[in-house]
Amino acid sequence: MRVNRWALLVLPATLFLLAFFVVPLLDMSIRSVTEPPDAGLSNYTRFFEQEANLRVLTNTFWIATLTTLVCLLIGFPFAYLMTAVPGRIAGLLLIAVLLPFWSSLLVRTFAWQVILRDTGLLNSFLMDLGLTREPLPLVRTTTGVIIGMSHILLPFMVLPIWAVLRRIDPEFSRAAANLGASPATAFRRVVLPLSLPGVLAGCLLVFVLALGFYITPALLGGPRDQMISQLIVEQVQRTLDWGFAAAMSVLLMAFTLAILFVASRAVRVQDVFGSAGEE
Amino acid sequence: MRRGMTVAAVLAAAVVVGCSSGATGPEPQGAAASPVKLTGDACDPPRQDGVTLTLAAQGGAYQDALTKAWEEPYTALTGVEWINDGNSSNATVRAQVESGQVTWDVVDVGSDFGLDAHKALLEPLDFGLIPRDEMNPDLRATDYRVPVMTYGTVLAYNTDASTGKTPTGWADFFDPSKIPGKRGVWDYATGGIFEMALLADGVAPADLYPLDLDRAAAKLDAIKDDIVLWGTGAESRELIGSGEVAMSMMWNGRTWGAIHEDNRPVDIQWNQQILSADYFVVPKGSPNREAAMRFIAWAVCAANNGALSKYIPYGPTNVNSEPDAAMVDDLAVSHVDDSTAYFDDAYLVDHFDEIDAAWQDWKSR
Repeated sequence: MRVNRWALLVLPATLFLLAFFVVPLLDMSIRSVTEPPDAGLSNYTRFFEQEANLRVLTNTFWIATLTTLVCLLIGFPFAYLMTAVPGRIAGLLLIAVLLPFWSSLLVRTFAWQVILRDTGLLNSFLMDLGLTREPLPLVRTTTGVIIGMSHILLPFMVLPIWAVLRRIDPEFSRAAANLGASPATAFRRVVLPLSLPGVLAGCLLVFVLALGFYITPALLGGPRDQMISQLIVEQVQRTLDWGFAAAMSVLLMAFTLAILFVASRAVRVQDVFGSAGEE
Repeated sequence: MRRGMTVAAVLAAAVVVGCSSGATGPEPQGAAASPVKLTGDACDPPRQDGVTLTLAAQGGAYQDALTKAWEEPYTALTGVEWINDGNSSNATVRAQVESGQVTWDVVDVGSDFGLDAHKALLEPLDFGLIPRDEMNPDLRATDYRVPVMTYGTVLAYNTDASTGKTPTGWADFFDPSKIPGKRGVWDYATGGIFEMALLADGVAPADLYPLDLDRAAAKLDAIKDDIVLWGTGAESRELIGSGEVAMSMMWNGRTWGAIHEDNRPVDIQWNQQILSADYFVVPKGSPNREAAMRFIAWAVCAANNGALSKYIPYGPTNVNSEPDAAMVDDLAVSHVDDSTAYFDDAYLVDHFDEIDAAWQDWKSR
């Protein structure tokens, strides 16, 4: 039997993941049932005993869902446009998508605060024009959180969709037209189904990343817009109750894995994460 | 970071110089070889050349003030060099102690730390050296912490946004019909918001504890739609300065920054302030435990404790210490009266889960 020696190249990455991801994750899971020493499942029951925690958990998934939808509504047309325009303009559009990657999340979140707050740019502009008389409640609200998070996560939606769309042969649309399909029908019955793996990849990426947000909801949200990461950070930083923090983290991970599992029933995961190799 | 690098460079140079001079002269080879003896007066420490202490605080203007008021004069006096870390956090103290990798010698912490509940993480302080009996008793030194500076959690108001009306106390903060507008509140269950709601509802400062959480939550409901939560002092300064909130609970040092550095129309209502302190603690297993005790004793002794107020509006904790004359009106300790409240730190730490649950519950409802 011959072992492909090139396979050894993944060894460093595997060791790295083991040491800095798998081991800490195990350590955290163990901590959730061993701290305090007689903890058992008490950290978990404590989480579910407080109604506020469940509301925050529900809210976390709700905000992640809304963010995913907003990213999809903006991201798909944008990615489609990138495939439809000449190469040079597509390059500019790509830079526009990537630009946010190169500045800090914190800076962008503060920038949104400056734009959206009651005395901020947008509200002053609208009120100076006489379009509104009272400032719109754009910040310290769920709206503010969704705006901020969608902006930050948009590239994770656009890039996978664009990667799939650009591999769809334009001849397919032409063939559909030849067979009598209107442009709308051709899009709906040919382009859309073929782009589905990219759409699902984008949605999963955005959704999973959104679940872990905490700076943006803290700065742009109101009292009711808490996400579970904020609770975890408080337990880690302030109260030093790392057992409870670990239990909440394990719960968040478990819910996320459950969703990925359900999603994997609906679609083939390799379509989503490994479609590049199948051509 | 830059300061850390500079200190490291100075240290490296000192080591080189120390080695070469050791070959030619009779000077001791640095204090690492000769441990500091704990003798003499707190205000009069011995030379400790070659010792480097690491001080962790919250960075920013406060850390700069600590450097100017205490670190630099202490270096001139004793030869102790400094490494500053601007990311003090209770979690890091715990992580350092539990992993056995303690690099911090002196840590500046808030009133929620340094209690008996944290004794596994901290060295008992040397009160043979540190003048505990000179400390303001309302600030609750423990066996593990000593207060080093005072500040107030106060009612700050933007004079433009509050439309000419002056809030007289927390009752006005909780009454939107008297002064409309948003209210800034620290998003931290034991940061004072429940105390303020109870003070507004007529509870006397001495009767705050045990906290009546239901009563406080009911009072908070009156301003639920007007509340803007802030997470850092810098945010509160921005909120009150820009007028996004008409009033805010905030720390008097940040209010001072909004008034004197940002030149914003902001003022402080000192009535019903909560007076509290920052503390110095020594993590368990600090490699320079004795030198750390020496420094802490020196920083809180009567002659030096007031020096911090030259650079930042945080007053002394030593009752025999004089604050800076130019800053005295801006210090929370100068405005202490019958209306002043104090945190019961031990109660707040022991009941944190219950109080935090009430806060999360109120927020998420």
